[in-house]
Amino acid sequence: MKAEIKGGSAFSYLDIELDAGEQITAESDAMSSMSAELDMATRPNGSVFTALLKKLLGGETFFINRFTNNTSGPCKITLVQPTPGEIRCVELNGDSLCLQPGAFMAATDGVTLGLRWAGLTSWIAREGLFKLVVSGNGKVWYGAYGALLEREVDGEFIVDTSHLVSYDPSLKLKLQLAGGLFSSFFGGEGLVTRVEGKGKIVIQTRSVSGLVSWINPKLY
Amino acid sequence: MDIELIHRPGNTAAKVKLQQGETCTAESGAMIAMSGNMDVTTTTHKKKSGGVLKALKRMVAGESLFLNHFEPKSGDGEVWFGANLAGDMMTYNLDNESLIVQGGSFMACEDSVEIDLGWQGFKSFLSGESVFWVNLKGKGQVLLNSFGAIYPVEVDGEYIVDSGHIVAFNETLDFSITKAGKSWLHSFLGGEGLVCKFQGKGTVWCQSHNPGSFGWTLSPGLKPRKA
Repeated sequence: MKAEIKGGSAFSYLDIELDAGEQITAESDAMSSMSAELDMATRPNGSVFTALLKKLLGGETFFINRFTNNTSGPCKITLVQPTPGEIRCVELNGDSLCLQPGAFMAATDGVTLGLRWAGLTSWIAREGLFKLVVSGNGKVWYGAYGALLEREVDGEFIVDTSHLVSYDPSLKLKLQLAGGLFSSFFGGEGLVTRVEGKGKIVIQTRSVSGLVSWINPKLY
Repeated sequence: MDIELIHRPGNTAAKVKLQQGETCTAESGAMIAMSGNMDVTTTTHKKKSGGVLKALKRMVAGESLFLNHFEPKSGDGEVWFGANLAGDMMTYNLDNESLIVQGGSFMACEDSVEIDLGWQGFKSFLSGESVFWVNLKGKGQVLLNSFGAIYPVEVDGEYIVDSGHIVAFNETLDFSITKAGKSWLHSFLGGEGLVCKFQGKGTVWCQSHNPGSFGWTLSPGLKPRKA
């Protein structure tokens, strides 16, 4: 399998060449173009029960698509994400990674998509009652709205709730007010996420909820 | 006519230099700046030939009813074009051929290019996205815009493109509406729905982002429209 992220950080898209017999799993609606010989099969994202949980409480789609190359030669497929922004690839070697709702894009065989209880605080922050955990051996691609920033956390770090994209499972997330009661609500920051522990987090430079709150007053 | 694209791909603008006697036709609302000697005429169709029917057809295609024609009065002039959505632009040089452009992607073209509605048959209705296509015919330069980056796909045989991702394609290609997966059920459940299958030999230009999908990610948070 050859995979290349193209389009820069503004309009990342994923160009994949599947060799004979290879397959890739992608988020529903991620395919923008593909060779007509590829076979697409749709299945629930896990068991029916966990898929339903993922959709209702984890912010992911109920179904995912699996593209298989059943021909004898290489086949091309292009995968995209709905928001303009950066795509990143992570190679998992038995470890796992937590993804925020909607960030997951595609994964190779050997990667499992699981759910983990995220807690009521996460739900209040509108990040879903469960969090998506990818684990296993293989490559995972995830995307964001805007560019991605990486940060090593040792101790604690504060991130605006809607900007967190992925984080090490060992990190603990807590919800808190950005400052005092007054500055939190009038300073426009509201609730923030406090990340505690040691590990890596990835932040997106834009947020869909930020864009939505900018559009809303302009609608009539 | 000389087209220069700057600030690609995120915030693309097109700078079009026109010599005296040259005319550039653009979609209404595309102009962001122009030199003072530019003469602008707004018509419903090609300059000096009003065709209301064709204009109405264009409106159905998701384009504006009116077209603006830019012509420098004395000496050279320049005009700048920009699109509403963040994305790239591309130019294409028509050489007595046809290019089929997805409704909202047409931006501007040289005066010598014929703009018409490309009726791709009843199947266009089924594709759900832009039902109609703009057919650019003749000889001259064409300017197109997209949402996101543009990537060309050389088709030789068969290729599948999700309907919201098509910018333009050569007329040498034939397309049909089909299912993405093995079965119709899989295609609908998998969120891919109907896709376009291109057949033949030619190029399809695809955009990396789908305005419809982006809209869907925003819509849960948007407040309802007041009646």
